[in-house]
Amino acid sequence: MGLAACARDSRPRLNIYNWSAYIDPAMITLFERERGVRIRYGTYESNEEMLAKVMTGNSGWDVAFPTHSRLGPMERAGLIAPLDHVRLPSLGNLDPRFREPVWDSGLRLGLPYMWNATGIAWNREQAPEPRDWADLWNPRLAGRMTMLDDPEDAIGACLQKLGYPFGSTDEAQLNAAKMEALRQKRLLRAYMNAEVRDQLVAGDVLAAQLWSTTAAQAIHGAANPAKPKIGFVYPAGGYPLYCDCAVILRESDRSELAHEFLEFLLWPEVAAANARAGETATANGAARAGLAGDPVLYPDAATYRRGIWPTALPSAAQRYRDRLWTEIKSA
Amino acid sequence: MLKQRALGVYAACIFVFLHAPLVILIFFSFNAGRFTVWEGFSTRWYEAAMNDQQLADGLANSLTIALIAAALSTVIGTAAAYGMWRRGARWLSGMLYLSLVTPEIVTGVSLLALYQWAFRFLHLQLGMHTVIVAHVAFSIAYVTIVVAARLRNYDRTLEEAAMDLGATEWRAFTRVTLPAIAPAVAAAGLLALVVSFDDYVITSLVAGVDSETLPMVIYAMARRGVSPVVNAVSALIVVAFGALILLSQRLQDP
Amino acid sequence: MTLRRVFLFPARAWMAVFFAAPLGIVCGYSFLTRGEYGGVEEPWTLENFLRLADPLYLAILWRSVWIAAVATALCVALGFPLALFIARGGKRKTLWLQLVLLPFWTSFLVRTYAWLFILRDTGLVNTLLQAMHVTSAPLPLLYNEGAVLLGLVYNFLPFFVLPMYATLERLDPALLEASADLGARPMATLRRVIVPLSMPGIVAGAMLVFIPSLGAYLTPDLLGGGKTVMLGNLVQNQFTTARDWPFGSAASLVLMLVSAWLLGTLMRSRVAKELL
Repeated sequence: MGLAACARDSRPRLNIYNWSAYIDPAMITLFERERGVRIRYGTYESNEEMLAKVMTGNSGWDVAFPTHSRLGPMERAGLIAPLDHVRLPSLGNLDPRFREPVWDSGLRLGLPYMWNATGIAWNREQAPEPRDWADLWNPRLAGRMTMLDDPEDAIGACLQKLGYPFGSTDEAQLNAAKMEALRQKRLLRAYMNAEVRDQLVAGDVLAAQLWSTTAAQAIHGAANPAKPKIGFVYPAGGYPLYCDCAVILRESDRSELAHEFLEFLLWPEVAAANARAGETATANGAARAGLAGDPVLYPDAATYRRGIWPTALPSAAQRYRDRLWTEIKSA
Repeated sequence: MLKQRALGVYAACIFVFLHAPLVILIFFSFNAGRFTVWEGFSTRWYEAAMNDQQLADGLANSLTIALIAAALSTVIGTAAAYGMWRRGARWLSGMLYLSLVTPEIVTGVSLLALYQWAFRFLHLQLGMHTVIVAHVAFSIAYVTIVVAARLRNYDRTLEEAAMDLGATEWRAFTRVTLPAIAPAVAAAGLLALVVSFDDYVITSLVAGVDSETLPMVIYAMARRGVSPVVNAVSALIVVAFGALILLSQRLQDP
Repeated sequence: MTLRRVFLFPARAWMAVFFAAPLGIVCGYSFLTRGEYGGVEEPWTLENFLRLADPLYLAILWRSVWIAAVATALCVALGFPLALFIARGGKRKTLWLQLVLLPFWTSFLVRTYAWLFILRDTGLVNTLLQAMHVTSAPLPLLYNEGAVLLGLVYNFLPFFVLPMYATLERLDPALLEASADLGARPMATLRRVIVPLSMPGIVAGAMLVFIPSLGAYLTPDLLGGGKTVMLGNLVQNQFTTARDWPFGSAASLVLMLVSAWLLGTLMRSRVAKELL
């Protein structure tokens, strides 16, 4: 069916593989009309899902959006085609923080697209305002707290609670973090990702480790936005930041068109529309001017300085953490 | 205890259990708010669902894949069950049981690896065909088990009698056995259809650029928790299939 | 070529190319080492299997077998009367069957989310119970093994009902009449006549529930709150977050072997009883 339709459609094609709900569909249509191309837009739920396909080197996708920590490994595996800055004249639209990011200072690998952080969402009416990760170990909220079902975030929070680095590879520190996690497990309701949003709004869960974008959705979607029931806090002792970047895959033979699409994403109106549609924080500084400044999505400078950008861990450390995670979850 | 009436009451309870989530889904598809907290009546999610191109494409792909895969696996599986009933086939039997026992992620990843290797020589890419092949591979076992269970209670002598009366093996099968086991084959086919339509893990691993299925679209929407469009879609599916069921019942029993 | 060979050929070919060969690849993976960024690479090693002998993983295996067994028993107990009802349904047989399957046209994830709404503290059941003054505080219905069992039974009940129905449907009513004529009460007829005759269906159905339950991962994740780790979760985790395909392959091979062994034992014992 799909094949037959493509045969009749002679426009050039571009295949984009992105996180779900991360773009304004009207922007896709706009690009298709302006360039006379046809875009095939697919979505995924996790980096691993995307990598499993892309690693084959024959996935059919031209552009993908990995999280920043995956860029290094992807480049070493020969999956990324370098960005040609000549074809991206609007690079200056990027927020200064993202023009020379720590994970890719020359901006050769990926174009920063949207970013978020992990912090604590809480129910303003029934729980005290949290200040730091330690507040998720509060025995008075026993049975009403959740942590993310993600080893990087969950173990990282335990490490930061103890004052250790988020990306620590030291076994002693990791073991201490594991003990913290096991202590906390008795107080937890569950390990949940975005599903906790509904439970926060309904009042089942009073405090949750959550991504800033999901928390923003819970706050904005509330019945009375002027008096939101849910709040979000960036932990005082540090928290992780994540940036999803647009990369052009080496397997793609539509490099020029892909660059045109990335350039299109850099235009302020387009970036603003995408940020509004996805309710996410854009890396595009020029677009920020047209967007409401939401402190949940865009922390102030002082708060931002407390955040760190996690990097890819070496294999042995990854194995150790994975084993700890299995121990924590099956305890 | 065995009276149909008593069983009927019991069945009603089970049906309530099976359909309660559906009712909830439909209920919240009319919710004005975005979360599972009632905020008033609205049909906005239905409007959004109707206008969503991704959903329409996903549904079309899912139906196509499910119909083709179920047809293929029913034919292959029924033939296999019949062949094994005549005289056991150890290797095939083992493979079929093994396929049931394999976690979906392993089936998916292993097929992806196979495709990856094969595509070096075949100049193909992931697409609808790779999904259909995968679906047939895992549903043959379901079909075979259902049909084989039925065949075990089937009287061999009926076929022998037919052949004594001059029928060939083929005719004995098609004219005598097949009609007798037809309800089981239909049940098996239905199972294969549902299993294929509902599959997420394997499909998401082997689907290509043009072959996003409905479960993949819905998963994306639901996991990111964007909106009750998912509820609206599910409600529409339930109503559509419910109507189909009633219609087919009317046709059988006017 | 006999008819039988012809009939068996398509299944054999398909399974050989699209199941056995990929499985061989996975076997190969289990002896390799984790690639730096996912995938596999040399050297060849037995390490993955040795890692599995750890009590941590054995506990997970045991828990999975236990939960799957309980879920299967529940499905058999709940599904048998339902299948009996449908098989006797006369003209409405297909209607009931399709009603059993109706929920499964919606997405598995969406159905599970609906259960979250029904069972959570501010959900349907608790709100009703408190409104009727049966309880004063919410019952913890979610995020425990009970919720996982409910999810498994809910999702796999049709897998039992369908083969059970297919077998019961062809039960000769004359045999039941004969049993009654000979003075057996309904329960005795059930125990001595119906159940033994429909044993193939019971076994088939039980298998179709037990096996996927062993490998389930979404249900323990969502309904168990990620606090119950079953084998399916372990394997899933290794192939995704942990990016350790060799270890995941080794774990799933063990899972498959254990299941195959249990199945084999079950099949042989039932068949033996049937012949006797």
